[in-house]
Amino acid sequence: MLFSRISRIRSTGSNGCRWFLSHKPHLQFLNPPAYSYSSTHKEQNDPFSLVADELSMVANRLRLMVVTEVPKLASAAEYFFKMGVEGKRFRPTVLLLMATAMNISILEPSLRGPGDALTKELRARQQRIAEITEMIHVASLLHDDVLDDADTRRGIGSLNFVMGNKQLAVLAGDFLLSRACVALASLKNTEVVSLLAKVVEHLVTGETMQMTTTCEQRCSMEYYMQKTYYKTASLISNSCKAIALLGGQTAEVAMLAYEYGKNLGLAYQLIDDVLDFTGTSASLGKGSLSDIRHGIITAPILFAMEEFPQLREVVDRGFDDPANVDLALDYLGKSRGIQRARELAKKHANIAAEAIDSLPESNDEDVRKSRRALLDLTERVITRTK
Amino acid sequence: MLFSRISRIRSTGSNGCRWFLSHKPHLQFLNPPAYSYSSTHKVLGCRENFSWGLPALHGFRHNIHHQSSSLVEEQNDPFSLVADELSMVANRLRLMVVTEVPKLASAAEYFFKMGVEGKRFRPTVLLLMATAMNISILEPSLRGPGDALTKELRARQQRIAEITEMIHVASLLHDDVLDDADTRRGIGSLNFVMGNKQLAVLAGDFLLSRACVALASLKNTEVVSLLAKVVEHLVTGETMQMTTTCEQRCSMEYYMQKTYYKTASLISNSCKAIALLGGQTAEVAMLAYEYGKNLGLAYQLIDDVLDFTGTSASLGKGSLSDIRHGIITAPILFAMEEFPQLREVVDRGFDDPANVDLALDYLGKSRGIQRARELAKKHANIAAEAIDSLPESNDEDVRKSRRALLDLTERVITRTK
Repeated sequence: MLFSRISRIRSTGSNGCRWFLSHKPHLQFLNPPAYSYSSTHKEQNDPFSLVADELSMVANRLRLMVVTEVPKLASAAEYFFKMGVEGKRFRPTVLLLMATAMNISILEPSLRGPGDALTKELRARQQRIAEITEMIHVASLLHDDVLDDADTRRGIGSLNFVMGNKQLAVLAGDFLLSRACVALASLKNTEVVSLLAKVVEHLVTGETMQMTTTCEQRCSMEYYMQKTYYKTASLISNSCKAIALLGGQTAEVAMLAYEYGKNLGLAYQLIDDVLDFTGTSASLGKGSLSDIRHGIITAPILFAMEEFPQLREVVDRGFDDPANVDLALDYLGKSRGIQRARELAKKHANIAAEAIDSLPESNDEDVRKSRRALLDLTERVITRTK
Repeated sequence: MLFSRISRIRSTGSNGCRWFLSHKPHLQFLNPPAYSYSSTHKVLGCRENFSWGLPALHGFRHNIHHQSSSLVEEQNDPFSLVADELSMVANRLRLMVVTEVPKLASAAEYFFKMGVEGKRFRPTVLLLMATAMNISILEPSLRGPGDALTKELRARQQRIAEITEMIHVASLLHDDVLDDADTRRGIGSLNFVMGNKQLAVLAGDFLLSRACVALASLKNTEVVSLLAKVVEHLVTGETMQMTTTCEQRCSMEYYMQKTYYKTASLISNSCKAIALLGGQTAEVAMLAYEYGKNLGLAYQLIDDVLDFTGTSASLGKGSLSDIRHGIITAPILFAMEEFPQLREVVDRGFDDPANVDLALDYLGKSRGIQRARELAKKHANIAAEAIDSLPESNDEDVRKSRRALLDLTERVITRTK
C-alpha cells in the first residue's frame, strides 16, 4: 500500500488533495534557478540553501524517531524515509524560513552571541514544530490510505510483513501521531498543542469531506475551497502560526504568519489542480488527469461549470467512462477555467506576499534574507510547471 | 464494524486486551451482589436490547436495586455516588464530538452509544478519585456550596474523565481495524458509504484530536504530557501485541508490560492527572497513580481468568476468545512454568481446536488459574493500600469516596463476569 501510493503519485501530477510534494519527486521545481529561471537569480536566493543544514538535522531526527522505536516498522521506515522526510523538505523549509523571518530577537543583535542559549533553545523548539508537522502530515497520509483488502495487495511483496498493509498503515500512523503528541507536549505550550491538534481534526474533516461528497457539494466552489483549506492549507498555516507563537510574537504577527502559510498553501493547490490538466505544457489534456479520473472535481472544472452549466451533467455522470473525461476536457478547453484557476492562485500568492511585507521592520540581514526567500516561494509556487 | 465489536464482545468474556467494560455490557458485575443470582438473566436480557441510552441504564439499575439483597446499603454502591456527574460527563462527551461532517457524526454517535454508557466504570473511578483526594484548599466551614474555585476544579477534573474516554474509544476504533477480526459482522447496521475501516481510522483520529484540544484547554502542561504519554503507551501496547516473537509471547514479563501499556496506563495516568489538577503533592499524585495502575492490572488478570472459566469455576466454560485469537494470557503463562511441554503447544498456534483442548488440559492440571487470581488479588491489595495511604480527612464525602474506591478493589476480583 505504501509502495503503491508512491507509484501512483509518481505517475500523476497530484492526487488532488495532497500538498507540497507529498512524496512527489517533483521537488526540483523549487530547486536552484538553473531549473527554470534566468541567470538573474543568484544562488543565495535559493530558499532551500538557506536552511539546508537545519533540514538535514530535522530529517535525521525524524528518521531516528521512527526507526528505533518500533522494530516492525523499521522496514516500513525506509518507506517513510523515502516518501516522507526527503520528499517533504518543502514544508519544513517554509517553517524554518518563517522562524528566521520573524526572529525579532528578544536581545539586541550586538548582545546576541553566536552561542546564545536562549536563541538556540528557541530555534530547537521551532525545529520541533517542523518535525511535528511532518509527523502529522505523514500520519494523515498513512491513515488516508487505509483501503479495503482488494487494494492492499498491491506492493505487498516488497514489504514482507505478517500484518496486512492496511494494518501497518494504521499502526504506523498511530505511532507517528503519538510521537507528535509527546513532542507537542514537550514544548510546554498549550496554545501550540491546541493549534496542531486542530490541524489533525482538519485533516480528518477534509478527507472525510472528500470521501463523502454529495453531487451538490462536489460542484460547489465554496465546498471545494473549504475542503482544500482543511486538507492542505491548515497544516502549513497553523504550524507557521505556531512558529510565531513559540517565538513570542504578538497575536498580530502570528496571524500574519498564519496568513502566509494559508495563502501559500491554497495557491500551491490551485496550481496543482491546473497542472493535473496541463502537465508541463500549456495545453490541455497533457497532464496526468489523475484528479478527474478519480472523480475529484477541482477548481478549473468548477470554474468551467459556471460558464457551461451543461458540464454539470457530465460531472454528475461520473468519469469512469473515458469518453466523459474527453467531453469534460472539451468544455474546459472552451472555458476560462484554467485561466481563472491560475488567477485565483496568483491572488492567494499575492496575499501571502503581502503578509510577509506586513511584518515588523527588521535590519537583521538573516531576517531580511529569509523574508526574501519566503517572497520568492510565493512566486515559485505559481510559476512552476510541474 | 463497531457493531460487530459489540456482538463479538457479547459472546466472549474478553478480547484479551481491552479493559474495564470497553463496551462490554458487563457493567453489572460491579453492581450490588444480587447480580450473580437468578436476577442475572433478566438484567442481561434488558441489556441485549442495545438500549444504551441513559434512561434505559437508569431503569435497569433501579431494577437491580429492587432485587438487591438487604445486606447491601445503597450508599455503598460506588456508582450511585457519582451517578449525576456521570450523566453530565456523558452529555458533554456527546457535545464534544459533534462535527459538521455527517459521516464522522455517525461514527461519533456509535461512539456515544457503545462508549459512554458502557464505559461508566473508568469515569466513575476518576470522579471518585477526584473527591477522594479533595483535601480542600479551603476549610470546609468556609467552603460554600457555590464555591467558584471548587466548582472550577471539579469541572476540570470532569474534563479529564471526558478526555480519558475519548482517548480510549479512539484506540478501540483503531484496534478494531488492527485486529481485523470479524470486521464484516454487523456491517449492515452501520450503513456507511465508505468502508468501515476507513471511517474507523478517521473517526479515531478525530476523537484523538478533540481529546488533545480539550487537554490543551486545561492549560496544564504536565497533564498534557501525562496523557500524551498514554497515547504513546496505547500504540506501543498494540504494537507489542501484534508483533510478538514466540519468545515474547511466552514471557510473563512481556505480557505484564504489554498489559500495563494497553490497559493500566490510561487509568493510572488519568488518576494521576486528577490529583495534579487538584493541586496535590507529588506523593499523593503517585498514590492515585498506583491505585489506578494496580486496579487496572487486577481487572485485566481476572478478565484473563474469566475468559477461561466464564461464570463457573470450571475450565473451558468461558468464551476462550483470547486463546482462539492466539493471545496468550496470564493463566497459560503460569501453566507453562509448570509444564514446559505446553510451550510447544502454544508455538503451534491455536487455529486447530484440538490444540486449544490440549492447552486447556495442561491448564487444568496446573495452578495457572489460581496463580492468576492470586496475582490479581495482590494488585488489588496494592491498590487498596494506596487509598489507605492517602492523607487523613474528616470530610464525609472524601471518606465515602475512598470507601467506594476500596470497594472497587474488591469487586474487580470477586466478579464472576
